[in-house]
Amino acid sequence: MNAILAQSHETTDPLKLLHRPGVRLVSIFGSLDEDGSRRVHYAVDIDNRQYRVVSIAGEGPIASATPITPAAAWYERELHDQYGVAIEGHPDLRPLLFHENWAEGVHPMTAGFEKVPAGTRTPYRFLKVEGEGVCEVPVGPVHAGIIEPGHFRFSIVGDTVLNLELRHFYTHKGTEKLFENMPIADGCLIAESVSGDNCFAHAVAYSQAMENSFGVAVPARGRALRLIGLELERMMAHIADVGALCGDVGFTVPAAYTARIKESLLLASTRFFRTRFWRGVAVPGGVTIDLAAVDAAELQRIVAEAARDFAELAKIILETPSVQNRFESTGVLSRDVARDLAVVGPVTRASGIKIDVRRDHPYGRYREFATEIAHHSQGDVLARARIRIDETAISARLIADTLREMPTGAIRTSISADASAEGFSAVESPRGELFYWVRVRNGRIARCHIKSPSFQNWPALPLAMPGNIIADFPLINKSFNLSYSGCDR
Amino acid sequence: MIFDTVKQSLSSRRVLIPVEQLLMDAQGSRMPDVQPSLLTAEIARRAADACPTTALTLEEADGRTQLVLNYADCVACGRCIEAGAGAFVAAQKLACCGATKSGLVRRWDVASGAEIVSSEREMENSAREIRSLLGRALNIREVDAGSCNGCEAEIVAITNPYYDLERFGIHFVASPKHADMLLVTGPVTRNMAEAVRQTYAATPSPKLVVAVGACGCSGGIFAGSHATAGPLDAIIPVDGYIPGCPPTPAMLLSGILHVLQRRS
Ligand code: SF4
Ligand code: SF4
Repeated sequence: MNAILAQSHETTDPLKLLHRPGVRLVSIFGSLDEDGSRRVHYAVDIDNRQYRVVSIAGEGPIASATPITPAAAWYERELHDQYGVAIEGHPDLRPLLFHENWAEGVHPMTAGFEKVPAGTRTPYRFLKVEGEGVCEVPVGPVHAGIIEPGHFRFSIVGDTVLNLELRHFYTHKGTEKLFENMPIADGCLIAESVSGDNCFAHAVAYSQAMENSFGVAVPARGRALRLIGLELERMMAHIADVGALCGDVGFTVPAAYTARIKESLLLASTRFFRTRFWRGVAVPGGVTIDLAAVDAAELQRIVAEAARDFAELAKIILETPSVQNRFESTGVLSRDVARDLAVVGPVTRASGIKIDVRRDHPYGRYREFATEIAHHSQGDVLARARIRIDETAISARLIADTLREMPTGAIRTSISADASAEGFSAVESPRGELFYWVRVRNGRIARCHIKSPSFQNWPALPLAMPGNIIADFPLINKSFNLSYSGCDR
Repeated sequence: MIFDTVKQSLSSRRVLIPVEQLLMDAQGSRMPDVQPSLLTAEIARRAADACPTTALTLEEADGRTQLVLNYADCVACGRCIEAGAGAFVAAQKLACCGATKSGLVRRWDVASGAEIVSSEREMENSAREIRSLLGRALNIREVDAGSCNGCEAEIVAITNPYYDLERFGIHFVASPKHADMLLVTGPVTRNMAEAVRQTYAATPSPKLVVAVGACGCSGGIFAGSHATAGPLDAIIPVDGYIPGCPPTPAMLLSGILHVLQRRS
């Protein structure tokens, strides 16, 4: 079961735990004890069945987990930036969150931090690939399309990519810090603004973390409405992703058609829930908006029509030789790399790893049945497109099943606002495992950590690039479709 | 085969939304509006207390209490609507999309419920005038200055067949060097401030800058974070503001057209 197992002051050695087979790193993050001293938490998933959070003191130097699992590398860099925790044995502690216009030695999550002093830091050192005919191509942070900012540095020979290095966190907003001292109800507003296209998944993950912390159960109808919102969000994300992939190979008619299908779902949300992206719907304790009984059939019809149109379109897309040619064997992410970097979501399921929070750690309404999971094993752009196509159909079925047997009654319950507690929750967002860990002291948020699937998956993208031509990068990047804001927070 | 499918679908369901219907449409944005007849001092106080931002406040002027609604700060959380006992409703139409900063502020006299209308807020919204802009060309460069990507999702949506931005002769371009207008989202993070300045400098004059979303207008939910350097108008000059979190495609389209109209 999702959560309930929060044992935050356990004595287990986290590095020993990470050595064990079947243990997948979920997140590493810091927090402050009441006296202001630092603590480091390791969240893991054991055998795809049980989450566990283990913590150790963070005042003295700690041993790096990166030599054991490369999936820890970015988490430890973030921990080092946010909390200034000394980490021994980490191969690369270059700043992750902070660029040159941040003074040296700033650690915003430590006790007593007030503001970033004026100052700069030494320029970032990119890795250097040397050899005959190697050129460097820097791209970004501002890109050509309507997409988020990030920097990519390619080392190429001719057209072929030898190495890709990412430099992100242009959209870093100090989000985790903003939660501090907020009333728990207001935390939702921030959670919804972490990654706008997955805002409902964030709001649900945050709310569930609070519900788990305080032992509050959401009424059955609230759980059903959450499932509908989560699966609609997944459908919209996946449909848009497939459209964007078509756009990238110049197949613009289906791209426009997917945009139309997605908009039909947004308009349905407006019509029945008065919000396009389900912002403001999930709150700790349930949901704020009910679905009128008379509207259920019409919503079901629109979702079914969108799913049918998309399935037909997807068939055409996959049967088009020029699409096959561009998608097939492009940007392969091997199963081993996906496992080593603890990659999550549709990307890992396209590389043959069958994990999905909905099935492995069911929450809310997903506890009442076994969620069917799509998976493919080729790890290329085609497999990542197919995963999204298959999952869209599954989501539509889940919505239909839920609408058919809508529980009646309350949609929301109250949650005590002045107590202290801590806990966590995970949700399968459209991009994969989204994990929130919260601590509340006297009704105020003391700490909220967000592990976003994009933070986890970005480091895997460069490993799908070598050997591909640089012109295929936009397509490969799109097939991962990671959120910059979700990663950078 | 693709053409058969698309032809059949396009002929069976016409989706293009006419311009008259689009202008100022705010449905689905969850932005608040006020029903002056139901406004009381008690309700105004309750709604202002419920507001998690500084969007909704009470001000004393000449011995009278004014309810001040600043759309720049509104994150569309809907709490004032929940607390407002009918006096606060979800806006159907919003005239201020594309307004100047002061044009985003509305005021009501709490005792009488009357809206205090400033001359600046008055905007010409006739579809006829907007139509007169049709056929001109406008090139927009979108700049994400640290948004959550919600605003991007809606900006992408204005190019879909329902809203069809291109019917107004408006295109998104890949480089600021080709742009007449910068459409900027996000609170301007510390890490993006320099890129925003450089993008502005690279855009040839005359140029228009439109701040998008609560983040673009005021920093929104991220206002005051140690990791932001904005809001946008603290970094570069801004010609118009489109509030919302995120603004809907109709609000974006209305806002872009209004900024254009005001400046042409
Ligand atoms: S919707 Fe806007 S004005 Fe109303 S409470 Fe929320 S932020 Fe304040
Ligand atoms: S205004 Fe709202 S939707 Fe737009 S970037 Fe800011 S938080 Fe996201």
